[in-house]
Amino acid sequence: MTDPNDPLAGIIASLKEPVTIAPELTERVMAEIDRLPPPLAAGASVERWWRRRWTIRLSPVGGLALAAGLAAVIFASQLAGRRAGGAAPAADGAIVVRATQFVLVAPGAAAVSVVGDFNDWSLAATPLARADDDGVWWVTVPLTPGRYRYAFVVDGTIWRPDPEAPAADDEFGRPNSVVTIGGA
Amino acid sequence: MRDSTSRVGIVGPGLGILVLLIMGALLLMAAAPVPAHGQEPRLAGRIPDAARAQVDAILDAARASGLPAEPLVDRALEGSAKGASPGLIVAAVTRLRDELLVVRSTFGASASPAELAAGASALRAGARSRDLAELRKLRPGQPLTVAAAVLADLVAAGVPADTAVGAVLVMASDAGDADYVAFRRNVQRDIMLGASPAAALGVRLRSATNLADAPGNETTATGGRRKQKP
Repeated sequence: MTDPNDPLAGIIASLKEPVTIAPELTERVMAEIDRLPPPLAAGASVERWWRRRWTIRLSPVGGLALAAGLAAVIFASQLAGRRAGGAAPAADGAIVVRATQFVLVAPGAAAVSVVGDFNDWSLAATPLARADDDGVWWVTVPLTPGRYRYAFVVDGTIWRPDPEAPAADDEFGRPNSVVTIGGA
Repeated sequence: MRDSTSRVGIVGPGLGILVLLIMGALLLMAAAPVPAHGQEPRLAGRIPDAARAQVDAILDAARASGLPAEPLVDRALEGSAKGASPGLIVAAVTRLRDELLVVRSTFGASASPAELAAGASALRAGARSRDLAELRKLRPGQPLTVAAAVLADLVAAGVPADTAVGAVLVMASDAGDADYVAFRRNVQRDIMLGASPAAALGVRLRSATNLADAPGNETTATGGRRKQKP
């Protein structure tokens, strides 16, 4: 006997009732099964892993930071390669860079610059600083090992070789000096 | 835990596309190499128009044959800075190209741009290609930049070319780059003190090869003595 006031008994009774199945259910289930892809062969799971689509979530700020970082790395590597000028690395693989000081005594000069193979012979690229009132001008330039031709230009027009350095060959009618930077 | 991605995502898909475009532009700008053909950007506005096309053609041919363009560009810029005529600039670049070709055939295809440029300077100074070949043979696996550059420096300082070649080759087996630089500096200093270039080189070469430069016993080509710096 069941108690009609017992809720659990009511649930049990409803579960015992026969289930009515729609007559077209079997056809629908079989049609869905037919649409499924065939079972994977051995190794196909690995291939599927490689071809799997990944979703990378990135905020706009993160994307810009990533792009800027990559761009900086690429640009820096290109710049370093160009500045090194193909200089041979030292034994430990590092590119040797030596701080090289250029000095000229030019008491009456208003401006002095050094031009050479290391700065595209640009009058504006490497100005010298006046060290004192005696007319000593100087600048320090980082150079990789090699032989560099250069000259001083006083007041933008007067070309002067370095009196402390060997003279270099010149094909253009103005004197050059030369500095050789050693490696290891 | 809050999701910052979804938070910024509320600005809509337009910003995402914009970010993608900026990322692409940044990477393209950073990766853009010097064009292999066409006009060399470093020469833009720097050399006379009459020389530009010919110099660019020389540079293109040099790159195509594996020669470094840097020394050639430097030579063109030097000529321009010095106000040389277009013909003179083209002639100088052409001559340097020819010298680089000779040096590369002597030093080998793996020679660095600095080695090629230094070797070209040595050729210009009077060394022969067989001298450079001997240098390569005596210094296997070592950079030749400084040795070749010192050779050219010695000639520039007034040492006869044959004498300079002989000195550099004598030192080639054992000297490091620093030894070559010190050698040249000492020769140059002795010349400035009044020694003849040949005498200065002879004295310094004996010192370099016999290790006669003991502390406090450093001699000079002018006959003087000076103490070694502490």
